[in-house]
Amino acid sequence: MNAPASSVTSPASLPEERHESIWGKALYKFRRDRTGMIGFTVVMIYFIAALGVWLGIWGTHWSDVEGPKWSPMSSEFLFGTNIIGQDIFQRAIYSTKTAFEIGLVVALLSTMFGALMGSLAGFFSGTWIDEVILWIKGVLDSIPFYLFVAAVAFAMKDNPYAMHVAMVSTFWTTTGRLVRGEVIKLRSFEFVEAAKAIGVPQIVIIFRHILPNTFHILLVQATIVFVAAIKSEVILSFLGLGVQDGVSWGLMISESTLEVLAGFFNNFIWASVFLFGLVMAFNMFSDALQDALDPKKVAAE
Amino acid sequence: MEILQFALRKLIGGIPLILGVTFISFLLMVYFGPDQTFELLGKNPTADEIAEVRHQLGYDKSFVVRYGEFLKQLVTMDFGLSDSTGEPVSSMLGRTIPVSIALVTPGFILGNLLGVLLALVAAYHRSGWIDKAIMGFAVVGMSVSFLIVIIAFQILLSSSFGLNLFPVRGWNVNSVGDYVMYVTVPTLASVFVALGYNTRFYRAVLVEEMTRDHVRTARAFGISPMKLFYKHILKNALIPIITRVMFSIPLVVVSGSLLIESYFGIPGVGKITFDAITSGDQPVLKAVVSLTAILFVLTLLITDILYRAVDPRVSLK
Amino acid sequence: MSDKANKPLLSVRNLIVEFATRYGPVRAVDNISFDIFPNETVGIVGESGCGKTVTGLSLLRLIPSPPGRIVQGEILLGDQDLAQMPEKDLARLRGEEISMIFQEPMTALNPVLTVGSQMIDVLLRHKKISRQEARETAIEMLTRVGIPAPKKRIDEYPHEMSGGMRQRVMIAMALSCNPRLLIADEPTTALDVTTQAQVLEQIVKLQEEFHMAVILVTHDLGVIAETCDRALVMYCGNIVESGTVDQLFANPRHPYTRGLLDSIPRLRDERLDKLPIIPGMVPDLLHLPQGCRFADRCAFAQADCRVAPPTLAIDDDNRSGVACYHPLS
Repeated sequence: MNAPASSVTSPASLPEERHESIWGKALYKFRRDRTGMIGFTVVMIYFIAALGVWLGIWGTHWSDVEGPKWSPMSSEFLFGTNIIGQDIFQRAIYSTKTAFEIGLVVALLSTMFGALMGSLAGFFSGTWIDEVILWIKGVLDSIPFYLFVAAVAFAMKDNPYAMHVAMVSTFWTTTGRLVRGEVIKLRSFEFVEAAKAIGVPQIVIIFRHILPNTFHILLVQATIVFVAAIKSEVILSFLGLGVQDGVSWGLMISESTLEVLAGFFNNFIWASVFLFGLVMAFNMFSDALQDALDPKKVAAE
Repeated sequence: MEILQFALRKLIGGIPLILGVTFISFLLMVYFGPDQTFELLGKNPTADEIAEVRHQLGYDKSFVVRYGEFLKQLVTMDFGLSDSTGEPVSSMLGRTIPVSIALVTPGFILGNLLGVLLALVAAYHRSGWIDKAIMGFAVVGMSVSFLIVIIAFQILLSSSFGLNLFPVRGWNVNSVGDYVMYVTVPTLASVFVALGYNTRFYRAVLVEEMTRDHVRTARAFGISPMKLFYKHILKNALIPIITRVMFSIPLVVVSGSLLIESYFGIPGVGKITFDAITSGDQPVLKAVVSLTAILFVLTLLITDILYRAVDPRVSLK
Repeated sequence: MSDKANKPLLSVRNLIVEFATRYGPVRAVDNISFDIFPNETVGIVGESGCGKTVTGLSLLRLIPSPPGRIVQGEILLGDQDLAQMPEKDLARLRGEEISMIFQEPMTALNPVLTVGSQMIDVLLRHKKISRQEARETAIEMLTRVGIPAPKKRIDEYPHEMSGGMRQRVMIAMALSCNPRLLIADEPTTALDVTTQAQVLEQIVKLQEEFHMAVILVTHDLGVIAETCDRALVMYCGNIVESGTVDQLFANPRHPYTRGLLDSIPRLRDERLDKLPIIPGMVPDLLHLPQGCRFADRCAFAQADCRVAPPTLAIDDDNRSGVACYHPLS
């Protein structure tokens, strides 16, 4: 069917122009997405909370035993205290930092790794390099995630980063697949052909000319992985495979499993509320980003 | 005949995948996994005793030899006895796999069925307030952690702080009535968690199918809405639906039940596998990992045959 | 319209179709009116984006909604207004009174159903016949559109056929219930030239056999010249000129029609340095000029062209008309 808006569109052969228009339109669209903006704002509030913990402004007493066990909510203990008398508010705030550490590290590394593997596989598609990468991806996707994390954790002898390593080594596969597809598409574009024709080395073509054009995929994937990472942390922490030192919402919820049976819900509720708030906001942000950056949608309107 | 040839080709094609999965599992769980030497020794062992035990456990052999033995056990399906309990691994699996399947099946089916239904309602009213409400709830569902849902349902349904209808934990199933009692809360929790993701996925699939040219053609010829739905939308949407359902089966059976089984103390395959990882019970690990890999290859095969059944364009050649 | 001898089969009055975009609503079809008389073939021609496809789809209310929407207007078939009719009644009428065939023979048929099953469904929907009778009718229709070995072909899937074959199947399906009007949306655009000619010939032949009217939506003036009695020229959502094909090709009155005709590559007496093209670009539907939408590209535009849009004045006798303040003579 004919597109109703009938501007004469130039073929998408000029990478610079295409690049700019996708980002420009995306920003325009994102700013008009109310849920997306709400999500983004909430994420930023969490981020400021995490920064404060980093800088030692607040959340410094998260490990101190300051009161009797299971104090109710009061002006002294905003969210009450837990089973050993630690301030739940302090712990919930401190855990914001933990969540961002895990989310950012895992999102950044797995997106970068996925981009690298995906662009290699895509650029060399049809060769043995592609075959090997696809094989690794298939293998990783066939091992149940929590078993894999458990195995990595034990293989790394209780290293606090075992969880991160396990997540990065499994979370890159989706990014890799998407980037591979995009690169195969981009590879046939004129600007890549032109670069090849004038003898630009392959490695330069990949990093200078192809990867920047997959950036919209990477950004969306990074937000999705961020959410997956902080959600996985909760379950891993419950299984004893997650955060080793410090505190996290996952650890708080795990320790609350003893408390709820005795009828003390503060720890459970507040950790859940904090976790839910961040994940929900991030999901809203991620959805809006996806809408704004989807080249199909941008082109269709 | 065509199908048999196809199956054979697919199974042979699956060998690299099985090798890869077993290799990584071997590397992580066996080679770098927990060392049992000192658990089998008394206090203050001598160097000779240590060497003796290590020899018994096979730790002194080279990497290649050990992986070779692992593969041999895989091919012969002879996994021996569990290190921790001394029970034959085959009987452990025979005991736990049915429990896991009984535990996850109702939630898996309900989660997908309800997902398709809600997606259908949303897609039908696309961009209307019903669609927005359903998709809003889906995002909320996706944002709640599985663990929180389990705990919340347990408090609400199985504790004296809530309705107190079902047992708090465990799996003491001797009759259908028992089964319903023990399976309800885990099922509700897993449906709740899966529903958001499923609804979103299926809605995207259905909307894509609804906007296809051939659906417009069918509408242009006055085909009734019911027929339009099941013959021109649902039938075409079956490929992505089959893909999603089939590929979640191996993961749901082994991994999806892990959290539920550990939380509710249910003796399923996820639980014994997790225990085996933490205690370094290699025979059990080898068995579970190998079976998962084989299950994956079989899933790939069955999925391809199903594709052929629903889409005439797919050829088995 | 008061053509006493010949009442129009379909009358479109003041039709407006809008699409919601994130920059605001866009009028793809802006206040158009035209008539289709029994047994005639009418072409709707224009550049892509001019609203011709949307017009065709709107007649059966098939525009994707959301974002599309018929804002205003009547689509009268006899005394029934298709624009207001409940969806359920309209569905009964689609494929029976008015049929439509589409541009993309690759995707317009359902890939997972045999062509027979799709044809039979249409017949069973509109006629009180048995499945066996429907199958026989379908085979007969396939024969009539020139498909060899129809008894075998009917059980094939669309992907087993060539593009031309698939388009013939579409035509067979469209004509199987004896419609009074066939809307053909770029039916030959996706086909190669030889097949194009064959399919067009088939449509012309069947139009006579089935005594139906045909609306042919196309960007190709050659197709119009070969097949149509009359044509409507669309530009930016408006009909700018309407007339018989002979008159339009011999004496175009709207500068845009003239421009379209001049830009067809053809054998000429003298060699041209370059092919004449219409200068400028089609205006963005979101930012339309105040006056005539063609004024900025028109060599004959004067000050009054930019004040208010001209309306299409239709001459009752020869059903021709032009929306231009300074028509060519």
